[in-house]
Amino acid sequence: MRALTWHGKHDIRVEDVPRPEIVNPNDAIIEVTATAICGSDLHLYHGRVPSMREGDVLGHEPMGEVVEVGSGVETLDVGDRVVVPFTISCGSCWFCQNDLYSLCDNSNPNAELAREVMGHSPAGLYGYSHMMGGYAGGQAEYLRVPYADVGPVKIESDLSDEQVLFLSDIFPTGHMAAENADIDEHDTVAVWGCGPVGQFAVQSADMLGADRVVAIDRVPERLAMARDHGGAETINYEEEDVYDRLMELTGDRGPDSCIDAVGTDAHGTGVVATSDRVKQRLNLEDDRPTVLREAIRCCRKGGTLSVPGVYVGRADNFPMGPLMNKGITVKTGQTHVQRYLGPLLDQIESGNIDPSFVVTHDAPLEDGPELYETFNDKEDDCIKVVLRP
Amino acid sequence: MATQHAAREQRDSHRAQSDSGTATDPVMRGVQLVVGTVLLVRGLGQRSVSGTVTALGGAWLVSRGVGGPSGMKRALTGRNDGSSERGAERTAPPETDVHRSITVGQSAEDCYDAWRDPDTFSRVMGHVADVEAVDSDRSRWTVHGPYGQDASWETHVVESEPGELVRWETPTDAVLPNEGSVRFEAAPGDRGTLVTLSVSFDPPGGTLGDRALQQLDIVPEKLAGQALGRFKSLVETGEVPTLEKNPSTRGEGDTV
Ligand SMILES: [Zn+2]
Ligand SMILES: [Zn+2]
Repeated sequence: MRALTWHGKHDIRVEDVPRPEIVNPNDAIIEVTATAICGSDLHLYHGRVPSMREGDVLGHEPMGEVVEVGSGVETLDVGDRVVVPFTISCGSCWFCQNDLYSLCDNSNPNAELAREVMGHSPAGLYGYSHMMGGYAGGQAEYLRVPYADVGPVKIESDLSDEQVLFLSDIFPTGHMAAENADIDEHDTVAVWGCGPVGQFAVQSADMLGADRVVAIDRVPERLAMARDHGGAETINYEEEDVYDRLMELTGDRGPDSCIDAVGTDAHGTGVVATSDRVKQRLNLEDDRPTVLREAIRCCRKGGTLSVPGVYVGRADNFPMGPLMNKGITVKTGQTHVQRYLGPLLDQIESGNIDPSFVVTHDAPLEDGPELYETFNDKEDDCIKVVLRP
Repeated sequence: MATQHAAREQRDSHRAQSDSGTATDPVMRGVQLVVGTVLLVRGLGQRSVSGTVTALGGAWLVSRGVGGPSGMKRALTGRNDGSSERGAERTAPPETDVHRSITVGQSAEDCYDAWRDPDTFSRVMGHVADVEAVDSDRSRWTVHGPYGQDASWETHVVESEPGELVRWETPTDAVLPNEGSVRFEAAPGDRGTLVTLSVSFDPPGGTLGDRALQQLDIVPEKLAGQALGRFKSLVETGEVPTLEKNPSTRGEGDTV
């Protein structure tokens, strides 16, 4: 089958690989009809995520039609149309039973490796390095889905692929980011990063009752989208000082909640950001915590910092003192996608939100390699790419 | 990364120079080599990914020594390290002890029953050896060497208390003499059963195998951790997570 594969920094190819097969009783195979490129795929594209191997199949935002089910699968049948969450979760362990699906104890076949690095292994993910499970991803014609009764959500209405596809990751991820921000009425919420996750965080913060949402980025189209679709006020950090502007907007109190929807590859400006980039290149530092530093500086005393952005290792110059002395609560984690599938599908079906507004590019899988480049360079107003295998 | 590599090469070349190529009973040594090599291969397989983590992620794992390809070469050629600093270990190879626990979200009785199920071992230990039930108390373990040589040994259960423990031993003349036990007790916080696996064995291949294991210092513990993780998954979900047939440009399946 055709698949997008990783061959190192800035080297994505479209190649023939073997077609996946059922190997465990709770597996299903889906024929992928639509699959997206995620902002976190760019961390792989930049070679920032450890334990990738040459030839790995990428992608963790797929949907499609069930073409085969294992003997243990009860809720899915051949022909069902499903969206597949990027977190692989067994449904039976203590974490899954407590709705902490992205922390599943059983789904990572390379759990010992993750344990060595992190102390414990989180859930396995599709197409996101061997430490995170080693599972082939969904930017391919077919995908093997383990624990098929736990992850995939059936789409029984006639909603289009691009309306439901983002249930696989970015819609729930933006939503959990807003939930983790502990929003009360009268609150001001600041969102760093107006990529797709940031856009959904803006929308969900509004849905959860924020008085005001402020979106921060440097790309004019992305800021415009946050204004037009999310009703956010915006700050272009290349034009204005973020701290000064946020203090102006909040009577010098700072935003009650701050959301870092950027993660490890933040651009930032100034000397410290440059130093981060150099250290990262020399492998002295894994993450560039530019946004974290700024968010901690801006956040209201006693406020909340929510981090959906992906980090991979260690970050230097992390302002632990300010974080502690300002009494800030930090909430983070990969998204417990399965927790949100039902409620967010309801939101889409009832017409409260149409997630397809983020799509700027829709193309055949074969165009994948060049669209990774377009997306990475933020050329052609690219915000979200959907690929059709 | 570059520095680390250089240091490793230097160390390996130093070791290669001090190799003296001693030999004992060739048949026994051949069998022991199979076991040693298999453990080495398993370990290196895991280590190659750890190595990638080190290379890409910085200094996470730098403190742990990595046995390079020359370790494999020595294993395959059967050359022993004759350097004097290892003389003490040659005369008295240390016993290796492994001890790991995991919490399984089922009752001690269910865990015990699963452990005693003849199918369980082959599924849980499949990454180390083929395990075949001879009868309810005896299992035959076989490891396959890279060139078609097999080595096998038997374990037999010497003590078992339903819901509490199972203890086993090998005959003393086994290729890989070992004894072990698994204990089941209530996990803290009423979260199921704490399963504790303890294994002691004489490293295979005498000094050579001992060194192979030392170079892969964490491997026995890692293998035990993997086995327990697989056991937990089997009991909690009815299956073991796997990358069998996992597609990539490299082909089907991933060995780690
Ligand atoms: Zn994603
Ligand atoms: Zn689970």
